[in-house]
Amino acid sequence: MSGSASTDGGLRRRTFLKAGGAAAAVGLTGAGVSAVGEEATAASSETDRTTVHGNCWICRASCGQEITVEDGKAIDLTGVDGHPKASAGQGREGTLCSKGAAQLNKTYNPNRITQPHIREDGELRSASWEEAITYAAERLEEFREEHGAEKLLRYQGYPLAKHPWHNLVFKNLYGAPIKVGRKTTCHGPFSDSWAWMSGYGREWPDWKHSEYIIAWGRNVMECFRGQWEPKGVLDAKENNDATLVCIDPRYTKTAEVADKWLPIEPRTDGALALAMGHVIIEEELYDEQFVSKWSHGFEAYKAAVADKTPEWAAEITDIDADVIREIAIGFAEAAPSAVAFPWTGIAYQSNGFKNAQNIHALNGLVGNIDSPGGTRQWTSGFGLDDPHEKRGIDVPANYKDKPTPEYDDYPFQRHVRDLSHNLVPQAVEKGDIKGFVNNWSQPPKSGNTRAWFEALEEMELVITVDAFWTGVSKRADIVFPGASQLEQPFLKSGGDSSYSTKGWITGSKAAIEPIGDCKPDYQLYKALAEAMGWGEYFPWESGAEFYDSQLDAIGLSFDELAEKSYEIVSDVPYRQYEDGGFDTVNGKFNFDLDVKEAYAGVAEDLGVSTAPAWIPPDDEYFGETTNDEYPLLFTDFFVEQMSRGHCQALSQSLEAYAERFGHEDEEYRGNYLHINPRDAAARGIEDGDWVRVASADDEIELMANLWEGVRPGWVGTEHGFGAGSAHPDDAGGNSMILNKERHVEPTTGMTARNHPVEVERVGGEPQ
Amino acid sequence: MTEQWGFYFDAEKCIGCHACSVSCRVRNDIDADGPKWRRVIHAENGTFPDYEQVSVSISCMHCEDPPCRTVCPTGAIEKRATDGIVVVDQDKCIGCHYCAWSCPYGAPKFDDDDKMQKCHLCLGEGAGDGHGAPPKATEADGGRKPGCVENCVGDALKAGPMDELMKEVTEGAATDGVGKGNFIFESAGSTLTIETDSD
Repeated sequence: MSGSASTDGGLRRRTFLKAGGAAAAVGLTGAGVSAVGEEATAASSETDRTTVHGNCWICRASCGQEITVEDGKAIDLTGVDGHPKASAGQGREGTLCSKGAAQLNKTYNPNRITQPHIREDGELRSASWEEAITYAAERLEEFREEHGAEKLLRYQGYPLAKHPWHNLVFKNLYGAPIKVGRKTTCHGPFSDSWAWMSGYGREWPDWKHSEYIIAWGRNVMECFRGQWEPKGVLDAKENNDATLVCIDPRYTKTAEVADKWLPIEPRTDGALALAMGHVIIEEELYDEQFVSKWSHGFEAYKAAVADKTPEWAAEITDIDADVIREIAIGFAEAAPSAVAFPWTGIAYQSNGFKNAQNIHALNGLVGNIDSPGGTRQWTSGFGLDDPHEKRGIDVPANYKDKPTPEYDDYPFQRHVRDLSHNLVPQAVEKGDIKGFVNNWSQPPKSGNTRAWFEALEEMELVITVDAFWTGVSKRADIVFPGASQLEQPFLKSGGDSSYSTKGWITGSKAAIEPIGDCKPDYQLYKALAEAMGWGEYFPWESGAEFYDSQLDAIGLSFDELAEKSYEIVSDVPYRQYEDGGFDTVNGKFNFDLDVKEAYAGVAEDLGVSTAPAWIPPDDEYFGETTNDEYPLLFTDFFVEQMSRGHCQALSQSLEAYAERFGHEDEEYRGNYLHINPRDAAARGIEDGDWVRVASADDEIELMANLWEGVRPGWVGTEHGFGAGSAHPDDAGGNSMILNKERHVEPTTGMTARNHPVEVERVGGEPQ
Repeated sequence: MTEQWGFYFDAEKCIGCHACSVSCRVRNDIDADGPKWRRVIHAENGTFPDYEQVSVSISCMHCEDPPCRTVCPTGAIEKRATDGIVVVDQDKCIGCHYCAWSCPYGAPKFDDDDKMQKCHLCLGEGAGDGHGAPPKATEADGGRKPGCVENCVGDALKAGPMDELMKEVTEGAATDGVGKGNFIFESAGSTLTIETDSD
């Protein structure tokens, strides 16, 4: 364990000192003097406190943790000062957000799965590790002989720090070629459009240096990937007097911090972006040099926005033409230290690809690509060693040359990818997928939920690693009890952080022993590999030893890194494209995607332009529209207290979420349907009522939260509750019950999440 | 009194995340459904689209002249001479709840044992811990920040001797006057009335 230790025979409850050495000694002298009463009982017990480092994995951001461990138990958590993810940068204090602060509640959760389970005679029963590993190996062998490895779907989920062992076993050795990941549940329309236009799949703003930030369907102050993001926005406001514009039909905490909240008519973001482009070109505020030297398709873009005046967009978006002009000019004048950044609010739309393309185009137009305070094409700027290569172990690629199904029902299947999350159940029905291996993910909360439940029942082999009984683990044949992040070593490099021009690495050892019969991931995959005859690929004793080997590349030992928590490793300059061009098919920033063959094919099928364009919802490909029967538009989202991890399993996070919306005095700890009081009044719904949300396809029930902060005509809830979730009581409504196979964005195949619904008050008590 | 400790809160920096209230419960070993020593209020104003919220994190204000102490029939509540932190001696508490009724901020809370408990600026790590604890020390003097402050993502919440905190204050910030609480509230012109949340 890293960090400082202090042992004393005095009081259990005393001011604990983070620093070791002299400071600790001073504190000890003053500590034991005056405590009386109840404390006397604790005074006799010997305590042993240490602080060690960890890396929070609740939202996969790896914020550095400082963990207080007493007698082998983690008792308190905070952030690591100066940490690239957990702080605003060098010399700044590290913190943990509400989700991170609740992590002890995950590790020591009374509902945790702490033993392996196997299904016998239709029922899951606990088993020893030896029995479960042997059984898994046998079932995997049988499955491969009978169906072939290509019929085992890797739905990878969230292995700690994206460690390589899950893929090593199931992709490289077992040879399962098909993986469905986050591009089709979270960010495809945003990230595919960006990758094809600008060449890097997941750009992120250089928040703290920005002077004009447009958070566009992007709730950066709540749904961040590391606290460096909201901290960076606050720094930009304080240090650069930056303007923050929040475009969202919902009043988020980003709206609260923003200079301007624009509660746009949902799904019209693309029209707003085109009108802004129109103004910027008309006012000659665009970056002519960047456009002429580095871009492709500007003429097509210019033509596309020629008649898209602010007045035209005002009609569509419900945003005043004057405001559109103001933000377009403000954004362009602040460039290149300006950023318009879309996220799931855009990616969840059936017309989201084009809307995202239109927004990305604005960043190219004003030349803020990879610029200080603009978008940043983050990279670590260094590599790590390959421990297998160093040992002369040749890792096979058994997933190659495996037959995979080719589908052509949807446009994306004909040009971009054969399988998306929503289409997995159909592949199971067709017999193309017959098994599934998963690590800490819960696909039935990500789209086409009822079909996924059936598919999981139908599959012949379901193996999962998890900590809670979810819609997957309850249906699994083999459940391995996953160790939480506090019980495992961790290593990750990056990338996006508060260090704008630096690459970094962060790591930590297990802070505590695994709970119950849980095992760290490395031990789990090593045991499985050994049982399947692949022990030679797991020669290391522990994950820490593997990481130690990787770190040779930068001259660090894992012990040293864990002691420090993080290390700044490399310099990563701005405007990396100036050295060798953009990482796109033509080396340019593409306004027009005619050069991207896959997209050109989709566009032709859909009858849309390859250049930026306004594509309204159309009841066919681009989103269902509301009508008299289903007059409200429903979607889902996150809030700070609830991420895509296992927050719904954590009582502290559920409490914070209930407090956030003022319902903590109710027994109910499910999600809320946020509805404008005007819409509620028209339906006789009062705050805290139990309501049914019905679409043309299905229905869910949950508690109503009346809120002036949501746009009339638009309703929504936090995602990840209800049936199949990690919530101990399945409380609330699983928003994705309303989502069916056809609700996909046509270019990327991502689950689209805008559903026309009606809401009615129902009797009875919340579950 | 050598120094008076208090809180400083900047509404412009609060992102309403509840890391403070969760950290308070974690540090003090309080279950999720247990007493809430620290709360985050999402004060709202207006109707769509002219709507706004202000997030405010509040706890015990450690008043100059604590009304809870005045009404306590058993003298269980102490305004500490050393650091001005208001603490309760749970052995003396009879669970009458007068303190909760008298407090303008709803700070005193009760658990199943019916003994008053509330924020003690993390003098200890649990209910009743503040009573008899050594003087609160700053980090410079080897102390540790209260849990709420330690994990404040927006750096909106600070704790310390009031004379040090006053150095942070910008023009226009208000020190709370209602109960002469030791609480500095920074905001950009927002007016906020904190409603009592008696048990």
